[in-house]
Amino acid sequence: MAKSSSSSNAYLLVPIALIAVLLSTAVIRGPSLVTPAGIGSAIIVAAPLILATYALMVLAVAGRGTVDLAVGPLLAFINVVVVKLSTAGYLASPIATFIVAIGLGMAYQLLFALIIIFVRVQPIIVALSGFLALTGINLVILPRPGGSAPEFMMSWGSGTSIFSPVLLIIVLATLGWYLFTATTFYSNLKMMGYDERAAWTSGVKTDIVRIGAHLIAGIYVALGALCYTALISSGDPTQGQNMTLTAVTALVLGGVALSGGRGGATGALMGAVSLWLIGYVLATFNFGAIQAFMTQMVYGVILVLSLLLTLLVPVISRYVSFISPWSAFLVLGLVVIGVMLHVATSGTYGGAEHHIVQGALADRYFLVPPARFGGNAGKFVSGTQWMALLAGLAAIAFVATARLINAEGGARSMGLFLYIVVAVLILALFAAAVIQPEFRLLGRGG
Amino acid sequence: MSELQTDRARFALLPIPRSIALVWLNVVLSLIVAAIGLGVGFSQGKLAAQEVILFTVLLAAVLFILLNYVAVVFEARAAAGDQEQTDAESGRIRGLWQQNRVMIIAMAGLLILYLLITAGVPEFRSIKNLIAFLVLELILVFAFKVSGYFADGRSAFIGLIVLFALIVISSFSIEGFLSASNVRAILLFAAFLGIASIGQTMVALLGGLDLSIPFVIGSSNIALLFLITVGVPSYVAFGFILVLGGIIGLLNGIMSFRLQGQALIVTLGTGFAVAGFTQIMTSIGSQYAGNVFGTVPPWLANLAAMNGRFFGLPFPPTIIIWVVLAILLIVGLRITSWGRNLYALGGNRRSASLIGISELKYWVACYVISGVFAALTGCLLLGWSGGAFIGVGDPYLFTTLAAVVIGGTSLLGGNGGYGFTVIGVLVLQVLTSFLLGIGLKYEWQQFIFGLLILPMVALYGRSPHIRSTV
Repeated sequence: MAKSSSSSNAYLLVPIALIAVLLSTAVIRGPSLVTPAGIGSAIIVAAPLILATYALMVLAVAGRGTVDLAVGPLLAFINVVVVKLSTAGYLASPIATFIVAIGLGMAYQLLFALIIIFVRVQPIIVALSGFLALTGINLVILPRPGGSAPEFMMSWGSGTSIFSPVLLIIVLATLGWYLFTATTFYSNLKMMGYDERAAWTSGVKTDIVRIGAHLIAGIYVALGALCYTALISSGDPTQGQNMTLTAVTALVLGGVALSGGRGGATGALMGAVSLWLIGYVLATFNFGAIQAFMTQMVYGVILVLSLLLTLLVPVISRYVSFISPWSAFLVLGLVVIGVMLHVATSGTYGGAEHHIVQGALADRYFLVPPARFGGNAGKFVSGTQWMALLAGLAAIAFVATARLINAEGGARSMGLFLYIVVAVLILALFAAAVIQPEFRLLGRGG
Repeated sequence: MSELQTDRARFALLPIPRSIALVWLNVVLSLIVAAIGLGVGFSQGKLAAQEVILFTVLLAAVLFILLNYVAVVFEARAAAGDQEQTDAESGRIRGLWQQNRVMIIAMAGLLILYLLITAGVPEFRSIKNLIAFLVLELILVFAFKVSGYFADGRSAFIGLIVLFALIVISSFSIEGFLSASNVRAILLFAAFLGIASIGQTMVALLGGLDLSIPFVIGSSNIALLFLITVGVPSYVAFGFILVLGGIIGLLNGIMSFRLQGQALIVTLGTGFAVAGFTQIMTSIGSQYAGNVFGTVPPWLANLAAMNGRFFGLPFPPTIIIWVVLAILLIVGLRITSWGRNLYALGGNRRSASLIGISELKYWVACYVISGVFAALTGCLLLGWSGGAFIGVGDPYLFTTLAAVVIGGTSLLGGNGGYGFTVIGVLVLQVLTSFLLGIGLKYEWQQFIFGLLILPMVALYGRSPHIRSTV
């Protein structure tokens, strides 16, 4: 077990090295990345891609060569529907928006799974069919980019601080995946993806596992669509194809096997982040009129190169088996953080002396803007952001505890924890409904 | 054994059924259809008499061969069917449902779709559409109940029926659908799509996919005009672009050989790289980033433009090029050892390599063919439009795949052929023309294409249940 997990982790070496190189380059070329606003906007811009890559990752792990080409159009579809509804005044509350988006994502993916299972057509053909149908219907719903996002999302997309609801969504999505990997369902999923016949013969109900994988992917796509809506604050039916192509590239960069059975949130996250970094680094060079072409070419070349590298990984890992991906991550991470700190603080040391005197150490090293610059606001984090931060930290603590107990107990059953999570979520929903008297699930709020 | 050999002989170029009565029936049917065609041709008034006669003779001949082929297939199936008498009187209702459930579900789905559209779109409510709907339902019955008699060409048979039905419905409901200019337009666009799908078919026969086709089309489109504008003689530039397309295919093949499960992604990556590179190269030293302006040489324009002439006949030579290529490919894949080896490889890699077929050689060759024909399509599209545009290939990203899939070539390899793809291409183009004719916008067309692929594939491309693979 340990051996197999380390060999699958070896595929992470490619994205880790890529991220280290790209991040250093990005920080040196564009130091504005290492500011609260820079990181905040980076998170918001990268969030849809990250979540779409998660969705693709779940489906890829499920096997049968499932590359859901329709992930981009589906994301655009949810975006367009939410914007259309909110422009018409039907979606005012966050909860209704989330329910609509996640419901749409899950419904589409459920249909996808049912077609694969009962009609028994290859997934790639179903995905192709969905791609064409959704691309068409998006343009019918919203012929050209426009409309306005629900009002509560307006502040999300500004990207002025790190702790935004978008970050919370990413954190929750990632943590959800790690909680999920502790379940028996996940091991069944991996087994099915690796060898469906073996899984079926050993009594795994492959149909149900496949449906479950698709439902999870639907949730991820819906969350990605909401982040995308927050990012552009409007509807855009035309970006589906690009999103599909970028997300598939990110998936491959992250070392997820398209043949199934191998992959995880870490790889998908790293793939998506390194893809975003490629775009960022390229944007810091000034190519003038050929900027877009250069980006396209570099994407293509990196896609092909990273695929060829995955061929070499088994060979490399045989000779350098003493390098664990996580130690590589640690060392390279430290180096990159050093570069980042140097860039972030170099101006401070060079120029005005009083900054060192006045600014607290934490101001400089935790990338928090000095309070003296904000005239009216004494606190730099608003109430909602505190709530989001606390919720995120609580979720991290919860998952860490759960994984720890699970590892100690050695059992592969996490049923109790899942029940607790669901119960807490439902309770939170009721609490939100009670605390906000003006809260209405559906209706013309305003 | 000798029986089998005579059967093989009957499937030769001119299939002849055993019973003479069937042959006479076929002759009569072909003549009747030809006579109708003659009448329709003269009633157009615009066509020259020689052309009408030429096309009528061609139509009669093709129809005769096709009918004979169908008759031979039926005879073989009937002979086989006599031997296997089925029992099973018990549970007849259940058995009936078991055998026909897909058909019933499909018919019910169509009914619901029709009712939905009728309820939603007021312009849709007309007697013509009702007739069209009933014809479609009839076709479904026909496709399910009759196509069972065809073992190999089931997908081709269903495709032909759908094609036929589409033509009937469109000519009923659209004014001037069968006019010479519309037919010419359909054939011209079918030729573009058909040439672009050659490579996709070959690659699919080996179980791969080539998504770089649209990017190669767009790149060759602008690169050709760029080279001509720079001053390279147009014939040389044309050949050079084809060679470049071949080189891209070579790269694709070599790089994806060890990554066969991910050929989709590898070709997508090379496609991106090629499109970006071409745009960078063509925009160096010009102030229009990525756009190339210039004049297309007359021979190229004549080759593919709508008013092009082929030795005086009023249709563009591109259609002839496509027909010749199609015949070469269909016959070549059937009778040459190269073609048979290709099928063997697609069917079972291990067995094929054991009898000494080099997998790498065939894999790379298929991608090279794909690159060359994608480049050819790009060049022809330049002649058609008269201006270069990188996005000209974009519609071909999934339509080449759709044509292959609708035609019935399995994406898993080893099954199908270019003849099937020709049917798929024609179905797609006639459907496009029909949807345009009834006034649907591009996005609705795309939506319907998407919905069409699934049932078409579900009719013949279903994989076995996992129960039966263990």
